[in-house]
Parts: sequence; C-alpha cells; structure tokens
Amino acid sequence: MISSRVCNCLSFISLPSSLSLCRPLVSLLFQSSKSAAAMAFVKAQKSKAYFKRYQVKYKRRRDGKTDYRARIRLINQDKNKYNTPKYRFVVRFSNKYIVAQIISASIAGDLVLAAAYSHELPRYGLEVGLTNYAAAYCTGLLLARRVLKMLEMDQEYEGNVEATGEDFSVEPAETRRPFRALLDVGLVRTTTGNRVFGALKGALDGGLDIPHSDKRFAGFSKDSKQLDADVHRKYIYGGHVAAYMRTLMEDEPEKYQSHFCEYIKKGLEADDLEGLYKKVHAAIRADPSMKKTDKQPPKEHKRFNLRKLTYEERKAKLVERLNALNSAAGMDDDDEEDDE
Amino acid sequence: MPAGHGVRCRTRDSFSRPFRKKGYIALTTYLRTYKIGDYVDVKVNGAVHKGMPHKFYHGRTGRIWNVTKHAIGVEVNKQVGNRIIRKRIHVRIEHVQPSRCTEEIRMRKIQNDKLKAEAKARGEKISTKRQPEGPKPGFMVEGATLETVTPIPYDVVNDLKGGY
Repeated sequence: MISSRVCNCLSFISLPSSLSLCRPLVSLLFQSSKSAAAMAFVKAQKSKAYFKRYQVKYKRRRDGKTDYRARIRLINQDKNKYNTPKYRFVVRFSNKYIVAQIISASIAGDLVLAAAYSHELPRYGLEVGLTNYAAAYCTGLLLARRVLKMLEMDQEYEGNVEATGEDFSVEPAETRRPFRALLDVGLVRTTTGNRVFGALKGALDGGLDIPHSDKRFAGFSKDSKQLDADVHRKYIYGGHVAAYMRTLMEDEPEKYQSHFCEYIKKGLEADDLEGLYKKVHAAIRADPSMKKTDKQPPKEHKRFNLRKLTYEERKAKLVERLNALNSAAGMDDDDEEDDE
Repeated sequence: MPAGHGVRCRTRDSFSRPFRKKGYIALTTYLRTYKIGDYVDVKVNGAVHKGMPHKFYHGRTGRIWNVTKHAIGVEVNKQVGNRIIRKRIHVRIEHVQPSRCTEEIRMRKIQNDKLKAEAKARGEKISTKRQPEGPKPGFMVEGATLETVTPIPYDVVNDLKGGY
C-alpha cells in the first residue's frame, strides 16, 4: 500500500493549479495492478476497485458550471468583517440571452440582490442582437442602475452618462461609499474584447465600484498597451455590428438578408444602431425598475427527467418480466411458478 | 538514523485528508463567522499548509479570543508538568470548526426560559433542574414458567463414556 500513498502525495502536490482529473486514474494504475498489467485491448475496464476508490468531484464541477478555485477566492470575506456581505457581479451568457446578477454568498445558498436579463431589453427599445457586446453593456448598465435605485443611491452615483469608452471609475461621494462588487466571470476565457467586459463597462458606467483594469476592454492594443477609447466606444454602440452589416450589404446581399433578417424586419439599418443604443441607455437610466411579468406559472410543472418508480411499481414490473420469461420458456416447462 | 522530532512528526495519519474527501475544501468553512467568546474545535486540514496549529492542538477545543482577517485566535488548555496553561494560538479558519460542546446548554437555556415563562403565566412554580436517572421501577414478570432443577446422583459409567 506504500505505492498508493506515494501516488496520493504526488497528486496532492499538483492539485493547487487545476482540477486534476488524473487522480482517480493514477490510483487505478497503482491499485488494480491486474488490469494495468495486461494493458491489452481487452482488459481496459474500470474494475470494482476503481469505483470503490473513485472520488466524485463536487456536483457543480461535474456539471462544469462552477470553478471552485475562483469561487473560494471571490467569496472569502475577512473574518474580522463578520457578516458583511461580499457581492459578486455575475455575468453569464447563454446562447440567446445574457444574465447579470449581484449575488452574495451564504451557507444556505447564494442570495441574489438584483438581476438583469437581456430579455428585458425589448422593454427599453432594443429588440435584436440581445447577446452582442452592446447588449451586454446595456444589461450591465441596467443592473447597476437597478441596484443603486434599490439601495437609494442612484442620485448620488450617476456614473458615466455619456458612454465614451474611456476607463471610468466611480468617485466616492460625500455621504455613502459606492456599491462594491467583484466581477465573477464564470468559466469564460477572459480575452480582450470579451462580452463579459462589455457588461462590466456597463456596470461601471452605471455607477458600481468594481475593481478592474482596462486591459481586457475591446480596443485595448497589446502593442501600445493603451485602451483606444474610440474603438471601445464603437463596440459599445454596436459599431462592429454596423460595420459587418455594411460589408455584407456590399459584398454578399443574400447572406446579409439571412444573417440580419431580424434587423431588417425591425427596419434597422447599419447607421441606425448608434442612435438606437443611445435611446436604450437613456431609457434604462430613466426607469431601471424590474417589472413583473403577467405570465402565470404553468399549472402542471414540466418534467425534464423521468419520474422515479415507487417500490410497488418496481415489484410489479419485475413480476411482469418474470411472467413473460416463464410463459416464453413455458412451452418446455410443465410447472410454472408465479412469483407473487 | 535517529527518530526526528520535527514540528509535524507523527502526523502522517492525523493530518491526512479522509478517504475520498481530498481536494477542494467545502465553501462553508469560509462562509462561517466566528465571534469572540465562541467555542471552537481545532481540527487540522492537511490540504491547507498555512496557519496550521501544532499537532498537540489537533482535537482540542478552546474559546476564541481574537479574530483576524483569515485566522482566529483560540485559547486552549495545555497541561505542562503539574499545571494547566491557557495557551493562545492563532489558527486559520480551515483548521477550525464551531464546537457543539455548548449547544446542549444553550438549547436547554432556551427551553427552560420558555417553560418558566409558561409556568409564570399559569402561576405555578416549576423546577427546571435536571434530575439524574433514578433506579428503574419494579415490575411483574409476565409469562414465566417455573423450571425446577435438581441435582442427579453421580453416574460413573455415563460420565466416562466419552473417553478415558
């Protein structure tokens, strides 16, 4: 068993960097020497020993949804601050929508202070392009204004009303300190110009205090190590989308029709986008409150997985199967026993 | 080679993580808040190397006397020679669990306060003292049949049948 101890120590040392998937397999190689010795095509099974020793990762890690290394560091609050909540500005992207939330952690479960979804943006006049950089900016801005309104700080902290793309940080006002949150990116790869940072910019301009650097905003060039505010401003107002629309209209009109069909339906041209986003920003600042939908929750809750059978149902199934087996073999057999 | 007496000597098993519980530490350890005066158990978590107490304190319970950013000051009793010293150590939160030693007393206190308030409302006096378990009450044995056993005279032949 000394070999197993050694292998455990090895994997223990390499742990801090990443979520090591190699751990169970390493033990497999040392533990079940029978299957390892053969190493032929046949013997590549996971033996009972493998399963007995396998340690499952946390549920959310198995789902691939939570990065616990980052989570520990985001949630950890100094102990001498006792119950002061530490808020995370969470941005997540689905295929069609953007979700921005302010969340504080607790043992019972995380509590969401406020949330903003990009599917609320139609209320402010933005109906298409709900997952692009500009929409992320709008969602971040909406969340920031909502939170500040909720905490009655929105008069004090206006933030950056005119989105210029420059790096803007909130100045602390006289009476209250700004609302501080930490950006929680999730499992996204933080490259320059990622939409996550679009949402971050929206929240910053909305008036939240989020520690950041301008290195990852769209428009930061690695060579000059500077943020080109104009480029960033273009992205915030959908300039990159507009440019693509123009090139497609000239070169491939059919592709333009198919790709931007929703824009065309709403009558949006490449030049209209900037004006549209300006109006959306103004509308968001005017009324950021959350509106409850009038949709009723469906009477019957939709099931996404199979219902588990009860004990009686499972026994009945077994009886059925046995009867079927017996009747099939019953041509030969004279006596049949019904397992009742 | 002579035996070493390093700080972590003889801790191979006590500091090792339990079976199939290696890797990341559950987030509740970081989310718990501790106040001065609480009782905590010191239990070393071998996965975190910083702020580890000495192996003597593993399994001890003490009171909190200080709270810092990532650690807690715990006051633990240690017998040194013929006296007990109150030792003050600082331990990182990963190596500390809230102690349940005072839980029973606190629950009982709440319960007793409630009972006393109810009794006061009713106007009668009650004693909330705990009573030790007394001797068990007497009972009649049911369904017992008497089997009388008498000695039989010693029979040499039968006895030696087994073997000489």
